[in-house]
Amino acid sequence: MASHGVPRQATTEPRTEQSRLKEQKQIQEYTELVDLIERKIAERQYTREVLELTSKLLIKNPEYYTIWNVRRRLLIHGLFSKSSDLSSPSMELPSSSQIATTTTSPADSSSSTTNTSTASKETQSNLASPNPGKNGTTLDLIKADLDFVFPLMVKFPKCYWIWNYRLWLLEEGNKRLEPEVARELWNGELSLVGKMLTRDSRNFHGWGYRRKVISELESPKLHGKSMVESEFEYTTRMVKANLSNFSAWHYRSKLIPRLLSERSASDVQRRLFLDNEFELITNAIYTDAYPYAQSVWFYYQFLMTTLVDSIGHLTITPNFTDEDRIQYVRKQLVNLGDMLDGAEDCKWIYNALLEYTLALCRMENRPPLDAERQDCTSWLAELRKLDPLRAGRWDDFEKTLRWVEVDYRLASDVTGVEL
Amino acid sequence: MSLVSGPGRAGLSTASLPTELRLSVAAHVKYIQALDNRKDELEYHLTTHLRLNGVYWGLTALHLLGHPDALDRSQVIDFVLQCQGENGGFGAAPGHDPHLLSTVSAVQVLVMCEGLGELEARGKNGGGALGVGRYLAGLQDRKTGTFRGDEWGEEDTRFLYAAMNALSLLGLLHLIDVEKAVAYIVSCANFDGGYGVSPGAESHAGQIFACLAALSIAGRLEVVDQGKLGRWLSERQVERGGLNGRPEKLEDVCYSWWVASSLKMIGKLHWIQGEKLTKFILECQDTEQGGFADRPGDMVDVFHTVFGLAGLSLLGYPGLEEVDAVYCMPRKVIEQVLGPREEIPIE
Repeated sequence: MASHGVPRQATTEPRTEQSRLKEQKQIQEYTELVDLIERKIAERQYTREVLELTSKLLIKNPEYYTIWNVRRRLLIHGLFSKSSDLSSPSMELPSSSQIATTTTSPADSSSSTTNTSTASKETQSNLASPNPGKNGTTLDLIKADLDFVFPLMVKFPKCYWIWNYRLWLLEEGNKRLEPEVARELWNGELSLVGKMLTRDSRNFHGWGYRRKVISELESPKLHGKSMVESEFEYTTRMVKANLSNFSAWHYRSKLIPRLLSERSASDVQRRLFLDNEFELITNAIYTDAYPYAQSVWFYYQFLMTTLVDSIGHLTITPNFTDEDRIQYVRKQLVNLGDMLDGAEDCKWIYNALLEYTLALCRMENRPPLDAERQDCTSWLAELRKLDPLRAGRWDDFEKTLRWVEVDYRLASDVTGVEL
Repeated sequence: MSLVSGPGRAGLSTASLPTELRLSVAAHVKYIQALDNRKDELEYHLTTHLRLNGVYWGLTALHLLGHPDALDRSQVIDFVLQCQGENGGFGAAPGHDPHLLSTVSAVQVLVMCEGLGELEARGKNGGGALGVGRYLAGLQDRKTGTFRGDEWGEEDTRFLYAAMNALSLLGLLHLIDVEKAVAYIVSCANFDGGYGVSPGAESHAGQIFACLAALSIAGRLEVVDQGKLGRWLSERQVERGGLNGRPEKLEDVCYSWWVASSLKMIGKLHWIQGEKLTKFILECQDTEQGGFADRPGDMVDVFHTVFGLAGLSLLGYPGLEEVDAVYCMPRKVIEQVLGPREEIPIE
């Protein structure tokens, strides 16, 4: 998308004649290449040569989504089926009438439906053939294409179309290759996405891709089994490398229910697990400047949600009694109070103290005690002082605090904690 | 409409700026008008895949600036209709494959140009709104409720919103399963109150905007945990006044829209500091050559220009046309199509 983070040029003086001419030449080369591909496709040339031309264009412009689609059609309607020809002579290119509809214009959408049906017909014949040559050239083509795409991903890690195209290739692999072979490809992707996330540990394309790769590797069709333990371990490594990696904390929060369920964790083990997570996040908060970093506080919020929120209850310790939960919240309030020592300017601590003190009142079904009310008032004053950007939120909080004196159940909207 | 960045650059260091910043309306109008005259720049050609989106961004910006007629209406409509494929969907430019995202831009532009009549007369796939509506409805996964972007199957909560946006403007929401779509959004909710690209994905301000706007169109905002979400969204504001899209990321003008409109939809826009945000957005404009950048000092482009202006409009910047938080189009245009809009009460 246009110019995210593109620094300004050193000068805005008019271009020199030389640079203007150079740019004209680049434009000419680019548009000629586009025209050439369009012409070849219109002539139904679904060949390796045209595939190479699309490679050339996509290197210049990986955002050109229509060209990625052209590439898909080249593979589906030309090259994949040709590769099958090697061992299965009955597999031919789509009939000329099909080609006519699919190639007149890649952008002509009437072809879209035809393309899809043609593709599925082909796939069916491929699968139906006892010796479809599935692992021969089709595999080579997919591998070559994965290799082609990788440097583009490294160079343009936020380009949606590249990630999508890569997934599409792998899904074609699922359809066309033996499960063991397809599985090998997905295995390669796991290491690839690991590299991508090492380069940029917050890239949400990368995290989404990782979830997809894992779900494929776990799927019965690829003879997979659960990887939740190793993925959980991965998030531990990622957050230990950078405590501000909220993407990793988030993923961790999503893995936990399945992790515990697959471990068939007993109530005791679940309690221990929760203790360990609190210890992990408390240590993180105590590290260097991290009391001021919001990622750790959002994970802290997640853990607290499992205690104070009726939906969150199910996440880690579903069999906790109300008394258990109250005891844990009290313990955390003491913990938070201790954190203030030396971090009196940390708004997150005051915010948490306020929020969970009111949550405790609701859990105990009582209005705040006088001491709690005074604490809340002074914490709120600190928040106003430390965090003036969110003054409107503190105003609303204050209104709620006044209401809480009348009815303690009203606090949820502002604190974000529900009963 | 060209997507070429520059030539302008957003304001230099804040120290050199006058204490009271003003919006350079005339410069921005001129900047947008000139975008299509830049065919001698390579970047013009490298951004063809965003052309129709670019027309929507440029035209919306001009509407908000109070210059809705600054582009030639019939030229715009001709261009939009040239982008339509036989299946009713629109590609980013003539000859480009239809995609849901360019289709919603086409509908938004036609609505702003009062060009739906031309669509009826000249549209493909059986013609008119219904041809477009059928294309969009065909992209819904009837099992899960979400939408694919095109025939190749990518799924994203942005597509779900885009489809509902366009279908509601065309009066064709009944073509899709709205309840399933709502259920899908609910399945994307996270513990922090936010939403991601798909179930399991990290909360992201752009996706939150998409999910809240889709829920607004469906009339189902009550499924949102508004307290938690408001808290998360308000923490997007950083010291400099700008907003980021996720925890501990850099601020960017486009989030002035994604975050602020989301706060507006849940009645909590006052949970961030509007004056500081206004100042940050104004620092991102090039006051002489027009346009906005993501951050001060960077190259301007039309994408950041419209979302900067939409953010300012949402914050009530004087002289700007009022923007609709759900559609990112002028509120009065939306009211012409859908009738009076409900005010979201500030608590």
